[in-house]
Amino acid sequence: MDKSIIKASDLSLVYKDGTKAVNKLNIEINPGDLVYITGPSGSGKTSFLKLLMGIEFPTGGSLNVLGVDIKKGRKGRIQKMRRQIGPIFQEFKLIEGRTALENVCMGMRFFGIRPSKIKKQAMEALIRVGLESKIHTKVENLSWGQAQRVAIARAVVRKPKLLLADEPTGNLDHENAVSMLQLLGSFCDSNTAVVITTHATHLIENQKNAIYVHVDKGEFSIKTGKAGIAAIS
Amino acid sequence: MKSLFYNMGYFIRELFKTIRLSALSNFFSFIGTSLILLLFGLILISWWIGDNLVSSLKDEAQISAYFSPGMEQEQMHKLVDEIASMDGVTTARYIDTEMAYEENKRLLGDEADILELFDDNPFESYIDIRINLDDMDSVISRVTSLQGIDYVRDNRDVLAQLKSLVNAIKLIGSVVALAVGITTIIIISHMIRQGIYNNREQINTLWLLGAPSWFIGFPFVLAGILLTLLGGFAAVGLIVLMLEKGYAQLSGYLMFLPFPSVSELKQNISYIIIVISAGLGLFGSLFGLSSIKKD
Ligand SMILES: Nc1ncnc2c1ncn2[C@@H]1O[C@H](COP(=O)(O)OP(=O)(O)OP(=O)(O)O)[C@@H](O)[C@H]1O
Ligand SMILES: [Mg+2]
Repeated sequence: MDKSIIKASDLSLVYKDGTKAVNKLNIEINPGDLVYITGPSGSGKTSFLKLLMGIEFPTGGSLNVLGVDIKKGRKGRIQKMRRQIGPIFQEFKLIEGRTALENVCMGMRFFGIRPSKIKKQAMEALIRVGLESKIHTKVENLSWGQAQRVAIARAVVRKPKLLLADEPTGNLDHENAVSMLQLLGSFCDSNTAVVITTHATHLIENQKNAIYVHVDKGEFSIKTGKAGIAAIS
Repeated sequence: MKSLFYNMGYFIRELFKTIRLSALSNFFSFIGTSLILLLFGLILISWWIGDNLVSSLKDEAQISAYFSPGMEQEQMHKLVDEIASMDGVTTARYIDTEMAYEENKRLLGDEADILELFDDNPFESYIDIRINLDDMDSVISRVTSLQGIDYVRDNRDVLAQLKSLVNAIKLIGSVVALAVGITTIIIISHMIRQGIYNNREQINTLWLLGAPSWFIGFPFVLAGILLTLLGGFAAVGLIVLMLEKGYAQLSGYLMFLPFPSVSELKQNISYIIIVISAGLGLFGSLFGLSSIKKD
């Protein structure tokens, strides 16, 4: 079996109104990869993540994520694939009226895990993102940054093979943005690939093994290491 | 399977949340479902009683032959023997005026006082003939043509009328059953759609997190079944009450009417309505859930 997590060949996404969001992208992402996708607003970052999650479907080329060909009409397989992904959405998509803990548990309920174990792991995840004091607070009463941490906890508690973070530095000041990127990077290990989008290119440091992808109007360019950081900044 | 078991608590909490989110409209759905099932139950009971009546009258295919005036006792007995030996006749019995009087007194029961008004016995003697239903027509024509028989009375008219009444009930019943099914499914599926709409963000999020459809849909199916079941129980309660009242009213006549026993009726109707309401709840909610798929 192919052990790459993402494999895109000539992947394209053209929206119905003619907007080219992804144009002929070729990329392979493996376990342990840390990928930064940068680019101005409206360049196609979120669109690429939507393709990875099977929310949008390729209009050209092919895309394989965690062994599943992303195509229309494969709902069951795509749902199964999504269970191996930890998504942190740009707008978080937390469930209102529920506490931070309930939101984190929600992501694991259909994994066949005992409820007591789910709760324990969810608590641990919330502690790891620094939300110990807000475990039982309803999410609509959290600050933007705290809600984001709930979203992160919900994503990582699933021990995903692919962690996707869309614009996690958006509303954060410089210092917090840097530590946010560090936190997300820390989930990258030999089993997990992490993909982070941001338009704050100045925050990204040169890291060993990191893959830097720059996108503008759907055109992707990919670099690794020092050359990569130089190319995007 | 494991997820289903582990999440029972969650599903039940979700179920009550779904019901609470539009409590008033769900309450009306409950009232509507109860009334519809009540109507269905009442039709079913009339069907039952009618069927029972027809089949017991059928078993008792009986005709009475009356003698021409001025017959001798001896001639009458000869006629009885002749009729008894006919094809299609099971028994033929001579009923003298005394016996006819007693028989009518028994039939009148509490109202028998009315007979006191007569100075003389107003009843004639006749021949009570029990026959096979299939041979009814031929037996009647043969008995009528006998010398010494004035006229023959049979219960064919009553039977025919009852039969057409029961057939009408059955027809109405089938239409009502269909209407009940469709209406309940519409009410429940509408309620489920409402619930899905109220929960659309949560459903969308769960979907993006990879939750299987059954996991998302299960609380809604539970809600649909719970609502129709509650409706079913309410209908059963009302029907049982009505049956008890109705049978109490009829108590004086019950021994003469071939009605099914009230306990049997109560038991059967409860069983049927509960099973049907659960089934309709399941169908209605699955039907309502099919609208999730468009997301
Ligand atoms: N459903 C859609 N239909 C049509 N066009 C769309 C749709 N979704 C996105 N687009 C367009 O595709 C382009 C890429 O959008 P996308 O959301 O991927 O940008 P982005 O890089 O994530 O931007 P931002 O940094 O502001 O989040 C934009 O021009 C956007 O208007
Ligand atoms: Mg975006």
